[in-house]
Amino acid sequence: MTKETFLHDKHIGLGARMVDFAGWSMPVQYTSIIEEHKTVRESVGLFDVSHMGEVFVSGKDSLEYLNKIVPQDITKLTYEKAVYCQLTNEKGGLIDDLIIYKLGILEYLIICNAARIDEDLNWMVRNKKGLDVKIDNQSHNYSLLAVQGPKAAEVLSSMGLDINQNSFTIRPAKVAGIKLLASRTGYTGEDGFELLVENEFSEELFDKILETGKPFGIKPIGLGARDTLRLEAALHLYGNDLDEDTTPIEAGLLWSVPKDKKADYNGKDVIMEQIKNGTHKKLVGLKMLDRGIARHGYEIYLNGEKVGTVTSGGISPVLNTNIALGYVKNIEEICNGAIVQVMIREKLHNAEIVKRPFVTKRNIVKIN
Amino acid sequence: MSITEKILCAKTHEYIYEDENDEYIVGLTDYAVEQLGDIVFLELPEVGTEFHKGETFATVESVKAASEIYMPISGKVTEVNNEVADSPEILNEDSYEKGWLVKIKKTGDEAELGDLMEYEDYKEELE
Repeated sequence: MTKETFLHDKHIGLGARMVDFAGWSMPVQYTSIIEEHKTVRESVGLFDVSHMGEVFVSGKDSLEYLNKIVPQDITKLTYEKAVYCQLTNEKGGLIDDLIIYKLGILEYLIICNAARIDEDLNWMVRNKKGLDVKIDNQSHNYSLLAVQGPKAAEVLSSMGLDINQNSFTIRPAKVAGIKLLASRTGYTGEDGFELLVENEFSEELFDKILETGKPFGIKPIGLGARDTLRLEAALHLYGNDLDEDTTPIEAGLLWSVPKDKKADYNGKDVIMEQIKNGTHKKLVGLKMLDRGIARHGYEIYLNGEKVGTVTSGGISPVLNTNIALGYVKNIEEICNGAIVQVMIREKLHNAEIVKRPFVTKRNIVKIN
Repeated sequence: MSITEKILCAKTHEYIYEDENDEYIVGLTDYAVEQLGDIVFLELPEVGTEFHKGETFATVESVKAASEIYMPISGKVTEVNNEVADSPEILNEDSYEKGWLVKIKKTGDEAELGDLMEYEDYKEELE
């Protein structure tokens, strides 16, 4: 059965087209994906991402436990800070990617992908053997609203949020008098906040943000634009760009993996070996030179030989060009500036290997 | 006569109608376009190409996905709407007057038309 967020009726009322996503009925677009995309880049957008999972981890051994299930060094995570992590298997492959927040002493929050919550919980429980840890899946009790865009802070500030808060931090706060946890994170490449609120207050919060945001040009944004926004920012999507057979190193996430972490964790030997000796495949950014859109699953060629596969692809409304992420053989010839081909409907289309992210806050000055 | 009164629609959401030169104009219905959302790319065939009824003759890409467009009747392409190929967003505004896709010379028999529906019936079928 398809699950509905507490904001389902709001979405219908706003004219959203609903689609099934990871077992949830979610708004894919309200008006137009391109329009919604530009709204987030230029001003501010409001997303319902209540489908995402929230798991609280606590107990005497919680720090030791978390340190064992992710490559990141949780001992270095300080109070009210957040860290981007990967839940790895014994081969270093990704069961999921997630954000871990430190809420208090031996008290943590994990926000994970809706599509992976069952696999995550299953894996987490299997790994807690012998440890004094409480794993509390609270996904059904919380709604998550994301306010993203250059004007996100202004909107929330005018609703009473103290916006003097660093990126990748979380803290208890009040927005329009509603108690919640405010995290300065997002999945758009823009500044913004994610607000974790108890279900019963989510409708009120949603309405009030839309109302207060009106003079700032706020619009509700669907999952369609969420996908094009994260692609421009070259943020991975689990299931497309990440899976159980891909390590963080192969996925271009070396920046997130500490080289000097003392504690052992699942897949550490594989990951350390890859850091030292390199990987067979690597993630690259592609910019289409020929007309055509590279999509998930399309093959990548170099000199007539198949060298990889596109994992995410689409349009970039900001660059007004077609972009993609894909995995290729880790060979020197495939470097930034190199020309490869993507097979689109049985024809090869030229694409250039480019730096990721495709769009940074700095080059979002003028939007077509 | 409004355009929806003279078109015939396929279940796969293409329309055709006959013009004054006994050629058929082929395009996508307003319903199809609305379902696709923002259309960002369109690949049309070359003039002179022949297609059987039901064959893929074009591809339309929205932000979300690529979709094939099928020939509602057998025919040979006599003209391609280059304007819509260059600016596929035209389809989102108007898929009939400005956003037609190709003109074809019918090569099959009349019976092929029998599988198509009038616009009213097509709309009813959707509900």
